Amino acid sequence: MKKSSMLKVEGVSVSYGPVRALENISIEVDRREIVALIGANGAGKTTLLKAILGVQKVQSGKVLFLGDDITNSSTDKVANMGLGLIPEGHLVFSTMTVLENLQLGAYHNPQDFNDNLENVFESFPVLRKRIHQTAGTLSGGEQQMLSIARTLMSKPELVMVDELSLGLAPKVVSEIFDILGDLNNKGYTILLAEQNAKKTLEFANRAYVMETGRVVLQGLTQELMSHPEVRRAYLGSNV
Amino acid sequence: MEIFAAQLLNGLSLGSMYVLLVLGFNLMLLVAKIIQFAYPHLVVLSMYVCWGVLRHTDNMLLVVLASVASCIVVNVAIEPIFRLLAKRHGLDINVSFVVSMSMALLITDVMSHLLNYGYPIAFPTEWVGKSIFSSGLIAFSAGQAYALFGGIAAVAAFFYLLYRTRQGRVLRAISENSLLSSIIGIPIIKTRVLSYAIAGLLGGLTAVMFARLLGSASPGLGDFVGMKVVAASILAGLGNLKGGLVCGLLLGIAESMAIGYLAGSWSNAIAFMMMLVIMLIKPEGLFGIEA
Repeated sequence: MKKSSMLKVEGVSVSYGPVRALENISIEVDRREIVALIGANGAGKTTLLKAILGVQKVQSGKVLFLGDDITNSSTDKVANMGLGLIPEGHLVFSTMTVLENLQLGAYHNPQDFNDNLENVFESFPVLRKRIHQTAGTLSGGEQQMLSIARTLMSKPELVMVDELSLGLAPKVVSEIFDILGDLNNKGYTILLAEQNAKKTLEFANRAYVMETGRVVLQGLTQELMSHPEVRRAYLGSNV
Repeated sequence: MEIFAAQLLNGLSLGSMYVLLVLGFNLMLLVAKIIQFAYPHLVVLSMYVCWGVLRHTDNMLLVVLASVASCIVVNVAIEPIFRLLAKRHGLDINVSFVVSMSMALLITDVMSHLLNYGYPIAFPTEWVGKSIFSSGLIAFSAGQAYALFGGIAAVAAFFYLLYRTRQGRVLRAISENSLLSSIIGIPIIKTRVLSYAIAGLLGGLTAVMFARLLGSASPGLGDFVGMKVVAASILAGLGNLKGGLVCGLLLGIAESMAIGYLAGSWSNAIAFMMMLVIMLIKPEGLFGIEA
């Protein structure tokens, strides 16, 4: 029997006005997998995540989540179904406290708030110390942790991460990757969009390589890492 | 000194009305991203509702309920217009400003053509009430007490709702970042409608208190007050709630002082001179724009 597919994107195309941003994209994420989307800036990774979440309108194709067709559904509804996006640029509600950010994350999941809070603090102990601090005063890395923690408060089925490492120090990035690894071990399914190909390929099980709105390569990350095209374009080796 | 004390009391009670209007106006600006210029006009319309109900009953509770209900219903009923505009033009507050100005004109016209034959309406004298405290020049009417203490209670309730409740948190989240809010699953449209309803609730209460404070209303009152609400909001910095609180009170006091010490008709000129000067020195308002 085939593994249970959690997210299935079938032939999705998206345009910004006359500009085609995604051309017939198909990807699939199975339960408990870590799947990566890699590609340069402008390849369409963020657009794809936005299209999945209904932020960006899909012109053709289909998005299936847990078997339900969620193509062009409203974003809050999709989020409520268990699709959590950690957006690019460690976005937090900067005028609110850490606790308020986490309470907002639990908007659809107010039951077991204290247990969830405890779990989140276990993964991110630094947030416990900052609980009443205004989120805007946190460091970039701490804001990224808060952004992840806020998403986890809703107990999502699938966690999508957009440009995790953007603007963060390498040490912090490693730390956050470790935490995501732990979360995966705890049962979370992760879809990662990253420019930092090396780190991402080491981390994920499978990957899709995107270029100018298309998927050009896909496969297990071990195989992709030795693929000459990937090595040349993304891993900076001169093979 | 007595004039000063008397006018300070007048100013505070008038100012608390401005504060309420500024808060409702700013809430819709922050959450629904619109300039609802017609909001004070709706409040005046609700004063007409109070007046109409008072002709049949003097049950205070019924009057308040009618005023609040009418203000909520009308304010929520126009929400789809702004939603449609946002769909076509994006969230452009300039578009909403122009559209709400025409709504304001329309409401004023309705009042001046259809209600009480366009004559000003007068509330019963007992509605304003006798002076409950007087000493020399200082006289504090029951109406002023309603406006001042009712105003304080309503403002306190508003800030409690916004900063201490779950719904308030959601309203603030959308005001800070509506895209991020929808990504984490907050229903944007529903919450925006809620902001119209809260502003309507606030407006309905303001209408009752304003009626008790002024004792009368006329079709032109909406324009008159509307200008000042916009002025106070801009003075404070658009979308700045705490600044709006301060500037609403300041405007009320400045106006009353002008009435006390100068010829009364200068009060408007002074309010707008203040705005002009402050805008020249601090274009972002005294407390900074937050919208």
